[in-house]
Amino acid sequence: MYDLIIFLILITVGYIAGTLAEKRHYRSIRKRENAFLNLPAVTMKSVDYPAKEVKSAQMVYGSAVISIDYFKRMLAGLRNIFGGTVKSYETLIDRARRESLLRMKEMAGGATVIVNVRIETSTIGKRANKKGVGCLEAIAYGTALTIER
Amino acid sequence: MKYTPRQAESNVNVTPTSPIREFFVLMGGLLGIMILIYILLGLAVNLVVPHISVDLEEKMAAPFIRSMCAQDTDTIRQHYVQALIDDLQGRCTTLPYHFQVHVREAPTINALALPGGHIIVFTGLLDKVTSENELAFVLTHEMGHYAHRDHLRGLGRSVVFMTISASLFGPESGISRMVARGLGMTEMTFSRNQETQADEFALKTLNCAYGHVAGTTDFFEKIPREQNPGRFGHYFASHPENRQRISHLRDISRNRGFKLADRKPLPEAIKQSEDTSTEKPSPPAHPLSCISPIIDN
Repeated sequence: MYDLIIFLILITVGYIAGTLAEKRHYRSIRKRENAFLNLPAVTMKSVDYPAKEVKSAQMVYGSAVISIDYFKRMLAGLRNIFGGTVKSYETLIDRARRESLLRMKEMAGGATVIVNVRIETSTIGKRANKKGVGCLEAIAYGTALTIER
Repeated sequence: MKYTPRQAESNVNVTPTSPIREFFVLMGGLLGIMILIYILLGLAVNLVVPHISVDLEEKMAAPFIRSMCAQDTDTIRQHYVQALIDDLQGRCTTLPYHFQVHVREAPTINALALPGGHIIVFTGLLDKVTSENELAFVLTHEMGHYAHRDHLRGLGRSVVFMTISASLFGPESGISRMVARGLGMTEMTFSRNQETQADEFALKTLNCAYGHVAGTTDFFEKIPREQNPGRFGHYFASHPENRQRISHLRDISRNRGFKLADRKPLPEAIKQSEDTSTEKPSPPAHPLSCISPIIDN
């Protein structure tokens, strides 16, 4: 009986806290994405600027670790039984990737463009190699070019 | 190539969905499946029980019984009850069991039929009975449960799991022990019909053993006066109304022409519980706690 009560509390706390944190995070992501709109991050290996115009080239990276809440883990666990799209993990991965891109852009500072951008993800934490996802790390890296005009 | 700064209008990577709704749909589905399996297992009991051989039953019971025997104390009472049951079994029944009696120190006026022919007799019962016929009736009543395999049916759904684990993994495996631990042996319930059948079996056996059926209803006549059956009152609760049972037994006796005669008294050593129980450890708080350690083994 106590187990059930603890479980229900965890689920409720997980849902409320997780939803609030997610909403706030998305608001912040959208705001910063707008601010960085003029700094393109592209997957191309090079851009056609003459080499002498490139004032500086620097490796930039940003990483973000985001954890899932208890409720969503539970939901994903149920999904594991029946199969199908694990929708509850979608926002987790989306947030981690966008956050890491934003941090990378922040590191680039006044650069003109970031080329050769790659994003990688990995699970970290105690449960990483076992069943279930503890938390997820996304790391974005690329080369920031500052062009002289 | 011109770069146009612009933010994506919608997020294609996140499905717009209501997680709460998804949760309830999935949870409901899971619960539905579990309930279905539970109901199917309930139906499976009646299909499985007739096919469980006595041999397999003994294997099933092994994880429970092994340390129950370790707890047995060699007392005059145990020897007496064992001798009585061996006598009844040898002369009047043809049950394919080797019955073993385990006397347990507890105030409960009851006896239990466990799988594998193990009968638990509580000292509360031995203290209360006044004649050998009365005790023999309770014992043959339990034997009647074996005859109809009620003790397996009474275990309910757990018997399905136990059969599967005992036949697949063997009685000594950790899995069987785990299954045994997860299932309550004590949650045995019998239907009224099963009780009535066991009563009839007991009546016939007693008539065969003693040549008369005196003392058979003594046990039930005693119960109304003992209004508090304690925590383990299920013997009385699940058993049909005592008055009804008494009249049913009398009806059968009359129809079959069973006679009545003098009751055979109990040996003196059995009646006095004090001289045997003083040296023994204090009785367990729970009448069946002697079974729990077995399961924890």
